[in-house]
Amino acid sequence: MHDVGYVAAGYAVTLVTLAAYRWRLAVRSRRARRYVSTSTGRATTGAAGRD
Amino acid sequence: MRYVYRALTLLGGYRAQRVMGAATLVGLAATVAIGLFVVPPDASQGDVQRLMYVHVPAAWVAYLSFGVVFVASIAYLKTGRVQWDRVASSSAEIGVSFTTLTIVLGSLWGRPVWGTWWTWDPRLTTTAVLLLIYVGYLSLRKVADNPIRRARWSAVVGVVGFIDVPIVHMSVVWWRSLHQQATVLRPGEPTIAGSMLATLMLAFVAFSLAYGYLMAVRMRVGRLEDRSSLPVSELSTPRARRPRPVESPIDGAVGGVIDGALDGAVAKASPRHA
Repeated sequence: MHDVGYVAAGYAVTLVTLAAYRWRLAVRSRRARRYVSTSTGRATTGAAGRD
Repeated sequence: MRYVYRALTLLGGYRAQRVMGAATLVGLAATVAIGLFVVPPDASQGDVQRLMYVHVPAAWVAYLSFGVVFVASIAYLKTGRVQWDRVASSSAEIGVSFTTLTIVLGSLWGRPVWGTWWTWDPRLTTTAVLLLIYVGYLSLRKVADNPIRRARWSAVVGVVGFIDVPIVHMSVVWWRSLHQQATVLRPGEPTIAGSMLATLMLAFVAFSLAYGYLMAVRMRVGRLEDRSSLPVSELSTPRARRPRPVESPIDGAVGGVIDGALDGAVAKASPRHA
């Protein structure tokens, strides 16, 4: 029963790490996009070759 | 190299990104469900062995990430194209996350099995060194004062730092270690039961998809951040009319406007600076 706690913690840490990193990337993307679109007056996606 | 980068660009498209994101979610959900509830527990370790289905794939993605850093760094040093620097830095960031995750998961597994959260075992120590190398790589990127120098220095670290990856993998063979031997990436047949191996393979696929997805998103963020670091006057200039980046042949100092991140070309030396 004690072992199950380590297993649950391990799986939770994995999923939280992945979700937190994805969320952090979304924040960075939003911040950079806002700066670029404010400066240029044009919306941007960050897609390769388009901006 | 051009085709490899083109393939990476296609993977970075919105539609490809969404498909990869959905596939990652399905893969991770299946890994969690099967790893926790379907596959039988280990005969000697019991339920705690289920951590293998996240610990080993996390280590695999860390190796993969640093392998990509290595290849992209060589490509940057060879071609001078800033896109390769962006591939390397994106992959290093993801690799550091997965190496940290590997160490934390190993610690959670080690406590009930070895009776300790951490020991200076060769595998653990070389993995900690690997983490420090790539944390150093990311720190170096923060301190370098111009983009071309930053890209060149970090490419050198990206190539040299990769030496530790085979050392980490072979540490359990070369030195006496508390850590178990490799069960899959080893000469001969894998040493685990079929259902466990199948679950582990599923986890490898799911984690590799997660890597691909995070790479695609991180590359897009990198392009945006490179744009947002430009002066406002340059942002409103069409890409074709922007000055090419110029590096002084004297001390590597940059003259003109640094814009390699956008047009993908780094001028070697300019007659204006000769």
